[in-house]
Amino acid sequence: MNRRDFFRLASMAGIGASTAGLTGLVNAATPAQLGTVPTNTGISGRVVVIGGGMAGATVAKYLRLWGGTGVSVTLIERETAYNSNILSNLVLSGQRSMTSLQFGYSNLATRYGIRLVKGDVSAIDPVGHSVSLADGSKLPYDRLVVAPGIDFDTIAGLETPAAQARVLHAWKAGTQTTQLRNQLLAMKPGGVFAMTIPAKPYRCPPGPYERACVVADWLKKNRAGSKVIVLDANPGITAEPLAFTNAFEVVHKGVIEYHPGVSISSIDASTMTLNSNLGSIKANVINAIPAHKAGKVVIDNGLANVGGRWAGVDVLTYQSTAAPGIHVIGDASATTQPKAGHIANQEAKICADAIVRLLAGRSPDPSPITNSACYSPITADTASWLTAVFAYDPVSRTMQPVPGAAGEAAARSQDNYKEMIKWFNTLMEDSFA
Amino acid sequence: MNQKTMRLRVLLWLPFALASTCVTAQTTSAAPPAGRLLASNCFQCHGNNGKSNIGFERLAGSSSSEIYNELREMRSKVPPKMMDMHARGYSDAQIRLIADYLSKQR
Ligand SMILES: Cc1cc2nc3c(=O)[nH]c(=O)nc-3n(C[C@H](O)[C@H](O)[C@H](O)COP(=O)(O)OP(=O)(O)OC[C@H]3O[C@@H](n4cnc5c(N)ncnc54)[C@H](O)[C@@H]3O)c2cc1C
Repeated sequence: MNRRDFFRLASMAGIGASTAGLTGLVNAATPAQLGTVPTNTGISGRVVVIGGGMAGATVAKYLRLWGGTGVSVTLIERETAYNSNILSNLVLSGQRSMTSLQFGYSNLATRYGIRLVKGDVSAIDPVGHSVSLADGSKLPYDRLVVAPGIDFDTIAGLETPAAQARVLHAWKAGTQTTQLRNQLLAMKPGGVFAMTIPAKPYRCPPGPYERACVVADWLKKNRAGSKVIVLDANPGITAEPLAFTNAFEVVHKGVIEYHPGVSISSIDASTMTLNSNLGSIKANVINAIPAHKAGKVVIDNGLANVGGRWAGVDVLTYQSTAAPGIHVIGDASATTQPKAGHIANQEAKICADAIVRLLAGRSPDPSPITNSACYSPITADTASWLTAVFAYDPVSRTMQPVPGAAGEAAARSQDNYKEMIKWFNTLMEDSFA
Repeated sequence: MNQKTMRLRVLLWLPFALASTCVTAQTTSAAPPAGRLLASNCFQCHGNNGKSNIGFERLAGSSSSEIYNELREMRSKVPPKMMDMHARGYSDAQIRLIADYLSKQR
């Protein structure tokens, strides 16, 4: 396939997908409301972005909005549309379809003049300032932003594709999410759904507990007598302890069985058995979320200088501490902030602002602030939330939670659930529309 | 090829042309507007420059004192809703910068 075809593919796929995911919201906003790319800012440079997820799409958009037409932005993404992880637990309960969570890239091209390249980045040349795609083509850059999200460790026993097709993670939304929904549908009353939670850090701290709640709520109504066994590698609930303790002990009492401090030694996909320090556990469906690390492109290219798994960054610019001129944002970077989409969006804005300033010969903003916001469904129509504001601490050179500005909802509510849907639409608009 | 695809293709190629004119760092450009990066913390829910009309309250164009006072009032609300919690994360000076920036958006 030649480059011209790549463009056609990327833009066509984008159009198709955007009508699915952004229905009802693209039409509501006019270009003036969304923002236009200014000309003659006096700033110029070539920026290449790897990965069009929550972080990558946002940084591409804001580089153009804040840098102007002189800053050329190329976004390289291997998929034809983005599958949102956020709200993907609702696919398991049948409340959302995966297509309704797809976001295309055509808005980024047509509204902001971002150049789209569909492809898989295999190598980064930090000296020659270029990236290589799997098809052999090369793209030069002045500044590179790496936003590939995460990859997984392999759990013992799940080495083969056949085993991986039976024991799903569904922690990168997409085909696996729909497959896990189908596995739930195939369960009989009185069945067992077992899930494993990896040790921190993993993406979306409340996400696994939220999943346990959504699945339990569905099983209660549709597969009576079934159980959700939660096997957590962490010493306790890592996020929203108030909401989830209440959910496990009151709302979904008798359905969810929560075990902290569990280590999984192996999983046998043929007999559907988990081997752990609690002994062997048999289940009808096993949803195993493996330990996380930064996306492969980070690890393969010498950027994972934190424990060999995550990219160390200076949080004033998100520049890699391993290679100059390269910025790493979103889940792949090692910061004190949670790995979450809302905060990935804000990291992207700080990074875009810093790149625009650096291209103009200025210094980055010395006191950035980020905010994290997460809504968690507890039942089919109630949700809880979690939030935190982080400010730059010049002494530790890290983002630290602002005292008194972090916490969770006092109680789950239907209002929170409605707000969650509104928040999802606006967050995705800010990132993809 | 229909007109839409044509336009799309032209747009897609545009940055390519611009890319070839890459220059080195310069300081002739205007500094980023004060408060913009801070205010961008609002955009996830209130839209770019506070102009969203698909969800939460539109902020663009409200008077600076209105935004400033509202954010300060939120700080003492109990139990805090999510926005009340966010308001607790900013100093008075930062809230002033955010309010001034958003009030200038049209
Ligand atoms: C079930 C679930 C629920 C969640 N709920 C929430 C929530 O309520 N709130 C919240 O804030 N967060 C939530 N999250 C977390 C959120 O989805 C992630 O933190 C967020 O997506 C991180 O953004 P990212 O851009 O770093 O990575 P991603 O969004 O994963 O994007 C990475 C992109 O890079 C592409 N890519 C990777 N490598 C390459 C390569 N070599 N070449 C080309 N392209 C490449 C991938 O295809 C992908 O599109 C949830 C996650 C899950 C799993």
